[in-house]
Amino acid sequence: MIAFTDIVGMDLAKQALMLLAVDSELGGVVIPSAVGSGKSTLARAFADILPPSTPFVELPLNVTEDRLIGGVDLEATLATGVRVVQHGVLSKAHGGVLYVDSISLLDSSAVSHIMDAISRGEVLVEREGLSEVHPAKFMLVGTYDPTDGEVRMGLLDRIGIIVPFTAQNDYRARKKIVNIVLGTRDEEDTRDELNMLAGFIKAAREQLPHVSITDEQIRALIQTAISLGVEGNRVDIFTVRAAIASAALAQRSDVEEEDMKQAIKLVLIPRATRMPEREAESNEAPPQEEPPQQDEPESEDEEAPSDTPDAEAEEEQKETPDMIEELMMDAITMELPDNILNISLASKKKTTTGSRGEALNFKRGRFVRAQPGEMRSGKVALIPTLISAAPWQETRRRDSKMAGRPKTALLITKDDVKIKRFRDKSGTLFIFMVDASGSMALNRMRQAKGAVASLLQNAYVHRDQVALISFRGKQAQVLLPPSQSVDRAKRELDVLPTGGGTPLASALYLGWETAKQARTKGITQVMFVLITDGRGNIGLQATFDPTAEKASKEDLEKEVEALSLSIQADGVAAIVIDTQMNYLSRGEAPKLAQKLGGRYFYLPNAKAEQIVEAAMSF
Amino acid sequence: MTQTETAAKKTAPKKTVVAKAKAGSDVTTASEPIKAVKPAAKKKSGQAFPFTAIVGQEEMKLSLILNIIDPRIGGVLVMGHRGTGKSTTVRALAEVLPLIERVEGDTYNRTIDQYIEGEEAKKGRKAIDSASLRTEKIPVPVVDLPLGATEDRVCGTIDIEQALTSGVKAFEPGLLAQANRGFLYIDEVNLLDDHLVDVLLDVAASGLNVVEREGISIRHPARFVLVGSGNPEEGELRPQLLDRFGLHARIITILDVAKRVDIVKRRREFDEDPDAFMKKYNREQQKLQKKIQTAKDLLPAVTMDDSVLTDIAKLCMNLGIDGHRGELTITRTAFAHAAFLGETVVTMKHVKEIAGLCLRHRLRKDPLETLDAGEKIDRELAKVLGEAEAV
Repeated sequence: MIAFTDIVGMDLAKQALMLLAVDSELGGVVIPSAVGSGKSTLARAFADILPPSTPFVELPLNVTEDRLIGGVDLEATLATGVRVVQHGVLSKAHGGVLYVDSISLLDSSAVSHIMDAISRGEVLVEREGLSEVHPAKFMLVGTYDPTDGEVRMGLLDRIGIIVPFTAQNDYRARKKIVNIVLGTRDEEDTRDELNMLAGFIKAAREQLPHVSITDEQIRALIQTAISLGVEGNRVDIFTVRAAIASAALAQRSDVEEEDMKQAIKLVLIPRATRMPEREAESNEAPPQEEPPQQDEPESEDEEAPSDTPDAEAEEEQKETPDMIEELMMDAITMELPDNILNISLASKKKTTTGSRGEALNFKRGRFVRAQPGEMRSGKVALIPTLISAAPWQETRRRDSKMAGRPKTALLITKDDVKIKRFRDKSGTLFIFMVDASGSMALNRMRQAKGAVASLLQNAYVHRDQVALISFRGKQAQVLLPPSQSVDRAKRELDVLPTGGGTPLASALYLGWETAKQARTKGITQVMFVLITDGRGNIGLQATFDPTAEKASKEDLEKEVEALSLSIQADGVAAIVIDTQMNYLSRGEAPKLAQKLGGRYFYLPNAKAEQIVEAAMSF
Repeated sequence: MTQTETAAKKTAPKKTVVAKAKAGSDVTTASEPIKAVKPAAKKKSGQAFPFTAIVGQEEMKLSLILNIIDPRIGGVLVMGHRGTGKSTTVRALAEVLPLIERVEGDTYNRTIDQYIEGEEAKKGRKAIDSASLRTEKIPVPVVDLPLGATEDRVCGTIDIEQALTSGVKAFEPGLLAQANRGFLYIDEVNLLDDHLVDVLLDVAASGLNVVEREGISIRHPARFVLVGSGNPEEGELRPQLLDRFGLHARIITILDVAKRVDIVKRRREFDEDPDAFMKKYNREQQKLQKKIQTAKDLLPAVTMDDSVLTDIAKLCMNLGIDGHRGELTITRTAFAHAAFLGETVVTMKHVKEIAGLCLRHRLRKDPLETLDAGEKIDRELAKVLGEAEAV
C-alpha cells in the first residue's frame, strides 16, 4: 500500500485533495493525468488523510443502473418473500468518497445518475416497486487520461476542483517512486508523515468555520470567473469555498491573496473558455512555488465595504480591474505548464491526439437496464425477470392450484418478463472531414455545415451523432466533437477558418481517433464523410513536429494508404465526396475512396442536401 | 462536512415541513395517515432554498408562477447553462404553492367529484354519498421524477407486500398518481430514457394513467404540470416532448457581479444555518404565496379584447408556427400574467412580455440561422404592434 505522503510529484493534485479533505462541500476533485503518472494511486491514498472509517467506494466502469442506484436484492427477496432493498454504490459512498478511475469512460447514463445524486445529496430509488430515498452525499474523486476522451461537462460543473493537467515527473522523482514501490523506504517515516498531515487536515477542518472572506475578495473572484468566460454561477460558490479551505489549511482566519490564487488555479482556470492575453515574458516566469511578494492590492480590501450597491459597483470599476488582472496573471503563470489550455474545458474540442484509444471496446452495446417488454422483442433479462416474479410465487401457486393446473416449480407470467436494454440503440456517428484548404474551401465548408445541420435535425430520430473535422494548414482539427445538439453545432461551427495546406493524413488519423473514442461510449457505427479532392500535401509528421521536413509525394501517399487500410479494417464506413472541378481532377479522390473501402461521389457543386443523401444512402 | 453537520442538515428541513403542514392543513396533524404523508416527506427531504431568495432568473420564475396560476398553460421547459440554479428554483417552488383540496388521504389527490366518479366507475361499487367524504387541504404536490425511475414506479404497480400478506391484489400508485393536480419535475429531461418519454407523452395527452398488471386493470386521473430542465448541449429533447411544454424559459449565466456576490452570500448564509435563513425569508415567501393565490382567484374575472386575439393570431402566423397550440398558450399565459399583476384586462403589453416564453420552442430550429429565436419573435411582435398602432 502506498501512502498519500509517499506519492512523488502531482503536487497540484495533492493540494486539491487536501482542500477537499478540509471542505467536503467542494464536491470533489477531478485529476486528468497521463497514463502511469500515479493518479489512481494518489486518489486511492486520499483515504489516508480523511478521518478514520470514512467510506471510500470505488465505482467500477461497467456498473449497471441497479447497482449504482440500488434496487431489489434478489437473494434476500427470494428467501423472505418480501422485497429487500439493496443500497446502490452511490448511497454506499454517503459521507465519504466515491472514486471513479477513468471517469471519462464512464457511460453517459451512469454519469447522469451521479450528477443527479450530487445535486440532490441523495438518491431517489423509484424502481421495481421500491420508492425510497437513500442519503448520498459524497465527494467525487475522478481520475482519467485525457487521451481517452473528455469528461461530461455537466458532471465537471458539479465538481469543485479540476486539477490542471500535470506533466511527467523528472528523473529524481521517478527514482524516488521506484524506491517506494520496492518498499525500500522506512515505514516509520511514512507513518509519521501521514500522521502529521492528517493532523494538519484535522486542524484545518476545525479552523474552517472561523475563516472569513471579504466582499471585495468575493467580488474579485467573481470578476475573474467572468473574465475567464466560465459558464454558470455555481462555480462562484466553489471558488469562494476553495479560497476559504486554503486559508484554513494555513491556519489563518482571513483569506489572503495566495488563497485566492489557489482557488483561481484549481477551480476557475480549468473551466476557462477564454484566456486573457499573455504577455511574452510571462512564459519565463519561474515555474516553482513562489510566495506572493506584492502586497499593495490588500489596502483596498481593508476599506470598510460600503453597503450601497451603487457605490460599490462604481468603486469596483475604478479599483479592481488592475488587481484582478494581476491576480489572474499570477495564478496563471504560477507553476502551470504551458499547455494548460489542453485541459481547459473550452479547448476540449481540440481533441488530443494520443496513441491510446483502444481501451474498453468490449463495452460496446453494454447491458444497462431491464425493462418490461415482449419476450420476442429483445433478449430476456433473466435475473430481473426472476426478481419481478419472485414475490408472486406463493399467490400464483395458490391460484394455479385452485384453477386445477399442474404444479410447476416456477410460475412466470407475461408481466414478469423483462428484456434487456443495451446502452443506446446507438445510431451512426457521422464524422465529416472537410478539406478547408485552398480556394474552394469556403463553399465546401458552408455545404458541410448545412449537411451537419440537416443531419442533426433528424438526429434524435435516428440516434445519430455528428462530428466535424476540418483540415487545413499543418493539421486537422476537431471543430465539432461528436454531438447530437443543434445548439452546440451552431456555436462550435460559427467561425470556420479556411486556407493553407492539406493535411489529409492528419484528418484521417484524427477521425479514426474520434471514432475509437466514440466506441467506448457506445457508438457502434461510424461513417466518415470526406469532402475533399483527395490530394493531401502535408504529412502526418508535420502534425506532431512542426519543424519536420516536407514529406515527399510518395511518402504522403503511402501514409494515407496505410491509414486508410487500417481504418477500413477497423470497420469504419466511408464515403468520399469529390468537389474538384473535372478538368483538374487527377483521380486522387476515387483512389482514396477505394482504399477506404468506401463509395465515391462526384459532386463538384455539392449541396448540403446532396451530401446528406449520399451519407444516408450508404 | 462532518457527520453531525450532515445529520443536522437532514433534520432541519423536515422540521419546517411539520410546521408548515400544521399551518397549512385544516385537518391538522390528525389527518396525516402514514400513506398520505409519504410523498410530502420525500419531496422535502433535500434542502430547499427559499424561492424568494433566488437571485435573478426572472424568466424561469415567472414561467413557474404563471403555471401555478393556470396549470392549463402546460408546463415549463427550463433550458440553459449549467450551474445557474435551474433545479434549485424548481425545487424551491414547493414552498410557495397554494393549497388544494382533496378527499382525505386520497393518493390520487382527487376532488370529491373526481373521487366519486372514479370510485363509482369501478365494478360493483355502489353510489357514494358525497356527504360521507371528508376533505383536507394539502399543498400542491411537486413530484420529482428521477432519471433512473423504472416504469412500474412511474405508472404504479401491484402492491406485493399487501398481496402476500393479505392475498389482496391492490394497486400501488406510482409517481404519476402522486403528481395528479400537481407538478411533475424532471431534471435533465433531455436525458430521460426513451420508453419513459413514451409513457409521459401518453399520459400527458390523455390525462389518464392506465395500468394493467397481474390481471387487474386500473385507470386513474393523472393531470400534472410538466416541468423539465436541462442543458441543451447535453442532448436534444424529443420533438414531441418539446411540443408538450407550454412555456420554454431560457436561463443563462448571470454576468452582473453584484448579483453574483449576492448569490454567493445568500448560499453561504443558507448553508451555515438553513433554519435561520428560512425564517428570514418567511415573510416574503408568504407574501408571494398569497399573491399567487389572489391571482388564481382573479383569473376567472380576467377578460381579453378580440383585437388582442387577432394580433396574437397574426404573430403566430407570421412566425410560421404550426398548429394552434401557440395561440392557445399565449392566450392562457397572457391571462395568467394579467392576473398575477392584479389586472383584469389582457392587453398587448402582457402578450409582449410572455410571447417569447410561449413561442421560442415552436419555431423551426435552424442551426444556420444567426438570429436568435427570441429576437425573431421580438421583431415580429414589433411588426404586429406597429400594425396595431397604425390602425
